[in-house]
Amino acid sequence: MTVRKRILLADDSNVVTTILATSLQKEGFDVEIAFDGQTAFELGRDGEFDLAVLDQMMPGLLGLEVIEQWHEAGVVFPVLILTAVADETMAVQSIQLGAADFVRKPFHLPELIARIRSRLV
Amino acid sequence: MSPNLAVTVAIVVLLVDVLLFVALIVLKTYHRRRVRRHDERRNRYIQVLSKHLAFEHAVDPIPPEAGEDEAFIDAVIDLRNTLTGVEVRKLSVIANRYDLIERQSKRLRNKLLVTRRLRAAVSLAELGNDQSARVLMDHLDDRVAEVRIQAARGLARIGYTPAIDRIVDRLESEDPWVRARFGDSLATFGPQATQPLMVYVRVNHAAGDIQAVVQAITTLSVIGDHSVGPQLAEVLERSTRPEVQIAAVGALGSVGGSHSLDSLLKALHAEDWRVRAKAATSLGMIGDPAAAHPLAAALEDEAWWVRRNSAAALARMAGGTQLLYRALTSPDMFARDAAAEALEDVGGLARARQRHEEGSATEDERRLLRHMRTVRALSA
Repeated sequence: MTVRKRILLADDSNVVTTILATSLQKEGFDVEIAFDGQTAFELGRDGEFDLAVLDQMMPGLLGLEVIEQWHEAGVVFPVLILTAVADETMAVQSIQLGAADFVRKPFHLPELIARIRSRLV
Repeated sequence: MSPNLAVTVAIVVLLVDVLLFVALIVLKTYHRRRVRRHDERRNRYIQVLSKHLAFEHAVDPIPPEAGEDEAFIDAVIDLRNTLTGVEVRKLSVIANRYDLIERQSKRLRNKLLVTRRLRAAVSLAELGNDQSARVLMDHLDDRVAEVRIQAARGLARIGYTPAIDRIVDRLESEDPWVRARFGDSLATFGPQATQPLMVYVRVNHAAGDIQAVVQAITTLSVIGDHSVGPQLAEVLERSTRPEVQIAAVGALGSVGGSHSLDSLLKALHAEDWRVRAKAATSLGMIGDPAAAHPLAAALEDEAWWVRRNSAAALARMAGGTQLLYRALTSPDMFARDAAAEALEDVGGLARARQRHEEGSATEDERRLLRHMRTVRALSA
């Protein structure tokens, strides 16, 4: 029996979480959703995930702050940062903090799914 | 008035107040419920539409009456703004299947209900395709300003280039705030709007509506297309209107290029101090070291804004800080002040203080510290 990969999806927009969760479930992933940074941090710390997709601008904690706190708590898994306002500084900061990838909104759904898949192979 | 009548009037007024208060609460409750139901329906539609996008043969039905539901339109718009590529095309197919464009167009044509018309215009702008572009074109001269703004915005989002000339032509007949929004829409078209705007500026800069010409130049500045440098330089050369000159000088700083540099160096000696001040800022934006010495000379300009902007421009230019330190020895007190302020703004003063404490300050840094001490002593 193959174990389904678990993905944590955190975004305060229910449009993003709905379309992305639906598509990821169709691809055979288990998806858990958080609508704010603090919940994302707690879910990531307490649960076992294979990958996280984090929005940068979330209430509570920003996406990059969640990564920082996971590092402090010893939580390690690939993270994709999703953001509407992306500049070079932020891209560099994301990678320095260990984010595996950086995706701009609006996003191309098949491409995002492919990027997620490539991190889970 | 008899005491009985006064009491009756007071009771009636109180009753009316209570009734109005109750009516207000009822209305608010009704509105809140309506919004909640709308959001619930919208979320359901987002779920169903997500399945239709994710699965090739989704079976979840979308009810035929969805096309009339504002919540469905909002769900389609939200998903369109979240996604790009093939999913957007799939959403367009769904929008067509439910006649969303046709239904919104009908609402927009309704002469009476302004709120519904405005909402329809926003929806058409968001749902944009060729079909909605034709409808939006008809409403570029709508009697309601917000509808005109949404029409221009939607046409720009769609990239419907036949609209560019129409929007440019309307610049002079609009109020300033509508004109500014039209400018934003033209900027969204990008370089495709460059030549129509430039033609408008060339034809109208001498005698046309000044605000419209300035808006057109400002929009060219936002677009930042290098190719308009020579034409803007020509407008700057020929125009006798300071407002046009200032806008042109600002735009030359944004578009850059060798033509821009030459024209801006010339504008640094313009008669109007506002033009000279703007030219200094634009030269700073271009950042070409060839402008460094002319800007250093402008530190002695009679106008404070020109001195200040020249110093700020030098501070961000390669080799500029050297000239600012040199200006601290100028016999012109104002030039010294402008240079010192700019050096302070870019952290030169803090650096000089630190090095002074460490005993490693250079002669330039000691001079800056002495100048600042003198200024403070004089102002104390």
